Amino acid sequence: MFITPKPTLLWLQAITCNGNTHSFLNHPDLFSILSHFEIVHHPSLESSYTMEDVINGEVPCDVLILEGSFIDEGFLKAGVEVSSLIHTYATKAKHIISAGTCATFGGIFKQKDPENISGFCFDLEEKTSRYDTYASKLISLPGCPMHPKWMSYVLLMLAANKKIAIDNLHRPVELYGYTVHTGCTRNEYFEWKIDTKNYGLKEGCLFYEQGCQGPYTRGSCNKILWNDISSKTRAGTPCFGCTEPTFPKASLFHTQTNMGIPAKMPLGVPRRAYLTLTGVVKSFKIKRFTTRLLEYDE
Amino acid sequence: MKSVKIKQLIEKIEGEAELDFTFNDGLIEDVKINFGFYRGIEEILRGKDARDALVITPRVCGICNHAHLLAAVDAIEDGYKKAGQNIVLSSKAKDIRAFTLACELIQNHIKWFYMTIFPQLEAYVEVKSEVNYAMKATYLASTITKALAIFAGQWPHSSYAVPGGVTCDPTHLDVMQAQSLVDESIRFFEQVITGLSLDDYLGIDSVSSLGKIEGDFGNLLYMMGSHHMSEIGQSYDRFIVFGECGLSKAGKSIVTNVSNVDVRYVKEALQEGTVAKAVSYKERLYEVGPLARGMVAKTPIVKSLHKRYKDSLLTRVFARVHEVALLLDYSKTLLQNLELDAPSCTLERGTELSDFEGTGVVEAARGSLIHTTTVKNGLITNYEIITPTQWNLSHGNEKEQGIAIKAMVGSKTMEEATFIFRTFDVCSVCTTQ
Ligand code: SF4
Ligand code: SF4
Repeated sequence: MFITPKPTLLWLQAITCNGNTHSFLNHPDLFSILSHFEIVHHPSLESSYTMEDVINGEVPCDVLILEGSFIDEGFLKAGVEVSSLIHTYATKAKHIISAGTCATFGGIFKQKDPENISGFCFDLEEKTSRYDTYASKLISLPGCPMHPKWMSYVLLMLAANKKIAIDNLHRPVELYGYTVHTGCTRNEYFEWKIDTKNYGLKEGCLFYEQGCQGPYTRGSCNKILWNDISSKTRAGTPCFGCTEPTFPKASLFHTQTNMGIPAKMPLGVPRRAYLTLTGVVKSFKIKRFTTRLLEYDE
Repeated sequence: MKSVKIKQLIEKIEGEAELDFTFNDGLIEDVKINFGFYRGIEEILRGKDARDALVITPRVCGICNHAHLLAAVDAIEDGYKKAGQNIVLSSKAKDIRAFTLACELIQNHIKWFYMTIFPQLEAYVEVKSEVNYAMKATYLASTITKALAIFAGQWPHSSYAVPGGVTCDPTHLDVMQAQSLVDESIRFFEQVITGLSLDDYLGIDSVSSLGKIEGDFGNLLYMMGSHHMSEIGQSYDRFIVFGECGLSKAGKSIVTNVSNVDVRYVKEALQEGTVAKAVSYKERLYEVGPLARGMVAKTPIVKSLHKRYKDSLLTRVFARVHEVALLLDYSKTLLQNLELDAPSCTLERGTELSDFEGTGVVEAARGSLIHTTTVKNGLITNYEIITPTQWNLSHGNEKEQGIAIKAMVGSKTMEEATFIFRTFDVCSVCTTQ
């Protein structure tokens, strides 16, 4: 019987914290997903080649996963520029997945050397000189880190030979069509413009004071949940917009306002519409939203 | 006498490292440890809002990000206190922080045990089992980080600890879910790792009863014992711990003598030829990590192993795996005693200070992690991070070779030396930040 060989998968790291690696290792179905591929190299999983083979450019690569931000010169592995390794395998690969905000847009580490450090195909939102060469095979999975299920979605779609619909920044629309606000347990408070009175409370929304960027950050964090159980905003932490090209902005625990109104509007919402709704909503005082959700001792 | 130099790339650690070995007459006499890329997190932090450190510093490291968060918040709280702001955390906030940190340590140790030590030891002793160790590691690691995420929202890279407490407001339902995830992790420890009930395992207090341990840990001990790993990998027998928590006490241990420490005597120095900085305490090098915690806290089984096998590879490996049992037991107790009706955050909104300097210390998986933040007009003017691997993996100073280097010196082969190297649970990203 003729057996078609599995597509080969290479996970390559540039300037990174390894966060996407560990995020993906948390996937509950990790090994069934990986069973569709031959892992030629991975930072921690058993692989069919060594890092030295990878550096020698000898390794086959159908799917290239890139983790970490990109620099042309100055980051070497065993004497070889990592950028040249990336070019070697990006040329060989049929698909390139940029895993995380660093690999996609530049991320945190870009701030160390904004002139020279960027994402592989994007520098913030701008296309890099590499974009045209690799755009046809590029899938972006921004997120700091990316959610493990975003990666498994892409891998399984590729394994099944299905076409992945993407937006202008090459993000799969099924994953990034939502905002982080979608599915947050604080939605009612958002609607009624009720801010949380402090950290550590179930009640209230974090958009008005605490800097939550959920309404204008793309990602399905609150739809599929982190570690299959929770999310930042559910745990009372503002969304820091970690999937966006602008991540990380300044003053992450603080909402910038203009005359008391959040400076940045929910995705696609005109300021006038927002103000109109706010005016209406604020003219009512609804008791349920001003008391604690659960009282144990009444 | 013939001196030979050989380079070796070490992979499947956190990141990669390059070791330059110098052999003399067939024995290793020196090793240079080189890590990749300096990412400059400390520089990135300058000019940012004080609390942004709670978001930025976890990105130092994908595997110990939570420890960075807790060190960062501890540094801010210390700064507030020194500037006169009274902060008293509720017992709930303290216990939740301790719990989530314990979960991260368990996750780390288990990945190291199954994904670093097992495959490398098998390669070293030339046995090839068909066991999928990574599957065992990721099962337990994802179970326990799920318990963490109930409180912290997610792992990796949560920022749920804020000055004055934590951002979550858990219910009994949340706590029960976390409890069953801890129970599941304990079941795994009992059935797969040791073949003993957790209580029976914790009852082991001397070398003579190690034979009771079965399961994967039993196998590992057997393999290590039959390859004389109790005789290699010794360093200076000098240990230090700065973080105080339910499991660890601060102090230093030299051979068997335990005494107090003060974080002000810690010094960081640039080293030539590498982007990693070296640290010392009163000019001397110390080992940090689970073995250090065991020695300073005088954990009976660790002391018993140490008495017989010194700070050998066997003792070092044992101390780390043993910590998993202690942490499981500890996290269970923390959840049982959680006072849910206490406030999560005791600092009122809008009471942030804008001028302070503070130091935070946390026991991370690999040892003491220290953050120091200096804030003026609300903005960070200076930030310093000292990671555990900087203690263990430094080149050393004029007087002595670094901790891990000392442990490798005298080895006959690179295979032996690199295995010793890995028992320090090497993390290149933390070392170079
Ligand atoms: S995007 Fe975030 S998680 Fe990913 S490598 Fe960069 S810092 Fe780490
Ligand atoms: S906390 Fe953030 S994500 Fe949740 S409802 Fe408010 S704005 Fe939306």
